[in-house]
Amino acid sequence: MTAPLPKRIIKETERLQSEPVPGISASPHDDNARYFDVMVEGPGGSCYEGGVFSLELFLPDDYPMCPPRIRFLTRIYHPNIDRLGRICLDVLKNNWSPALQIRTILLSIQALLGAPNPDDPLNEAVAKQWKARENQPEAIKTAREWTRLYANK
Amino acid sequence: MGRIVSMNLFEAAQPPFTANEGQLISEKTASGLMNDDGRPAENNPSPTLGAHEDARDLVRLVQCTRCSRPFRMPVTLPCGNSLCRQCLPDVYEREHITYPDIPGRLQAFQCPFEGCDREHPASDCSVDVTLTKLMESITEVVAKYAALVGDRPTMMEEVVRWDEGVSLLPAAEKPALHEIPGGRLGATFVLAAQGKLGYNVELNYLSDLSESERALDANMLAELFESTQREVDCQVCYNLMLDPVTTYCGHTLCRKCLARVLDHTHHCPVCRRGLAIPPSLQTQSSNKTLVNLLNGLCPEIVAARAEAVALEERGGEGDLDVPLFVCALGFPNQPTFLRIFEPRYRLMIRRALEANGEFGMLMYNRYLEPQGDLGPVHFYHYGIKLRILHSQVLADGTSLIESTGVYRFRVKAHGTVDGYAVGSIERLDDVPLAEEQRIEAEDTSLPPAEQGDVAGAINRMSTRSLLALGQNFILRMQDRSANWLQQRVLDIHGQPPADAALFPYWFASVLPISDEEKYKLMGTTTVRERLKITASWIRRIESQRW
Ligand SMILES: [Zn+2]
Ligand SMILES: [Zn+2]
Ligand SMILES: [Zn+2]
Ligand SMILES: [Zn+2]
Repeated sequence: MTAPLPKRIIKETERLQSEPVPGISASPHDDNARYFDVMVEGPGGSCYEGGVFSLELFLPDDYPMCPPRIRFLTRIYHPNIDRLGRICLDVLKNNWSPALQIRTILLSIQALLGAPNPDDPLNEAVAKQWKARENQPEAIKTAREWTRLYANK
Repeated sequence: MGRIVSMNLFEAAQPPFTANEGQLISEKTASGLMNDDGRPAENNPSPTLGAHEDARDLVRLVQCTRCSRPFRMPVTLPCGNSLCRQCLPDVYEREHITYPDIPGRLQAFQCPFEGCDREHPASDCSVDVTLTKLMESITEVVAKYAALVGDRPTMMEEVVRWDEGVSLLPAAEKPALHEIPGGRLGATFVLAAQGKLGYNVELNYLSDLSESERALDANMLAELFESTQREVDCQVCYNLMLDPVTTYCGHTLCRKCLARVLDHTHHCPVCRRGLAIPPSLQTQSSNKTLVNLLNGLCPEIVAARAEAVALEERGGEGDLDVPLFVCALGFPNQPTFLRIFEPRYRLMIRRALEANGEFGMLMYNRYLEPQGDLGPVHFYHYGIKLRILHSQVLADGTSLIESTGVYRFRVKAHGTVDGYAVGSIERLDDVPLAEEQRIEAEDTSLPPAEQGDVAGAINRMSTRSLLALGQNFILRMQDRSANWLQQRVLDIHGQPPADAALFPYWFASVLPISDEEKYKLMGTTTVRERLKITASWIRRIESQRW
């Protein structure tokens, strides 16, 4: 038996559908309203441009006191995203606040695609490529390549 | 985008509950807990105010008591009263204060509100963001309607109060008469904005109003309501603020939402400033202006909201109305001390305290043994209803709980609310005395047990001898100064009860054997059954099989 969905989750879900964010979509599963299928388009001008990335997002029992759990399902070459799709993003951990919401989190993730931060990596191997000046063009090329290969609509 | 720190989002999937959810605290640390929790909210619903009839009262809701104008950049003080920022009294340096050494904290002012009279540190008084936005919306709507009105002004006359001495009034000083275009509501607001309407002054409206002007007032109020709706939504629960509390940084949340936030962090969820509010929020006043506004404008919505919250906390429709703490074993009439540190259980305890002060405690089912209809659940289905006797919140938010076992129960159904378990329970009582006696007569008239059949011998003992067996065992153990019967233990659990129904619970509470073994008492429905269990423990100890 499960408790009814908190009003907040209902409202957030409604707003995600009625006022969608360009380049981002999130829709809950029919049989589990806390589990969302997410699509994020790679931001224009980034090496992920043209890609459509799919993620899974889960709202834990004590959401919004705790952040949503979210990870990439689409393979992606990014210094802050590891092979399992886990994302290194401050607002998903220490800097989470219950005043944030699914919408703001997804925007942060989209922004992370536009601005990789190899200085604080989750994926050491990728970050090393990214950081070394001589390797950076190579890294960006790989990211483009992976986007074309895996994040193809 | 914020700074990025390393993280590990999908750690090995955790079971929803872990064995160590709370922690039984050692008995010596648990004495003398003070009850200093639980503070009810002040909610005094009043009837909805009418746009036309109650124009004066409506405007007063947003008037500053100091300057009588509608709030300008209002500040809500720690005592819950609001006033314009520019109406704050002069600050002075506080003396004899060295801690904390923060510049703003050393400056203070004397609170101008009656009934407070406290000294408020200047740093605890920021502009009230919600009220300020509300005032912006209100001013906008009033301006919009001012442009819509016809030529006919609203005539208003100040009511002369008799206690001001009418006879002393010089003939020339007639009660002030004001003439302002617009409906009553708009005109009254404008009068206040012009600084011509004292906070306590009442008005006589002289001009009759046409249908259309009445409609104007009603429409304006409706639009005010509409346009301010978003501002009075709580940023945590996305609902109308219920019993709003304003932080020192000027952000407002439902009292319960703020309390939940503080279970997890000591930072404001909106601006991330550190919050120096005590975890219990006990002394933090509600935002009186907002409470009065909401109660005045939409008492039904406030009432419905309170109802909905109560329902949500009970686990929704249905009867999952008992919070369940999966932690340890407890017995009727025996004390249980708990240290609650996980945010979700702090929330559970707070809600229990707000309700009847009771919650259920269940033993953790580590190996997922099937529990009747419930199947393999993470708890054993017989539990103990605990009543909180004392609770104390420590500075770090941890709660120390002193409770006593009230009765045993069986979980019929269960669910989850905000991370903790809830359930519907069925109280478990002993069979009627007549049945108890029938069973004893039946047992004791059985033919004697075979030599060496320990269980058979116990089964045939009279209830009184079973109790005596336990009591004598205790006496022998005391003579031998058994470790587990030290004075400290007796101080907590008391002397062995003479009541045969309760003796086994006491015995199990002090005896150093496994909880799984002690749990056998939980599902019993006769006194004999329990005494037989304790007798079997004694026989096993005597034969040194333990
Ligand atoms: Zn005050
Ligand atoms: Zn003022
Ligand atoms: Zn709230
Ligand atoms: Zn704040």
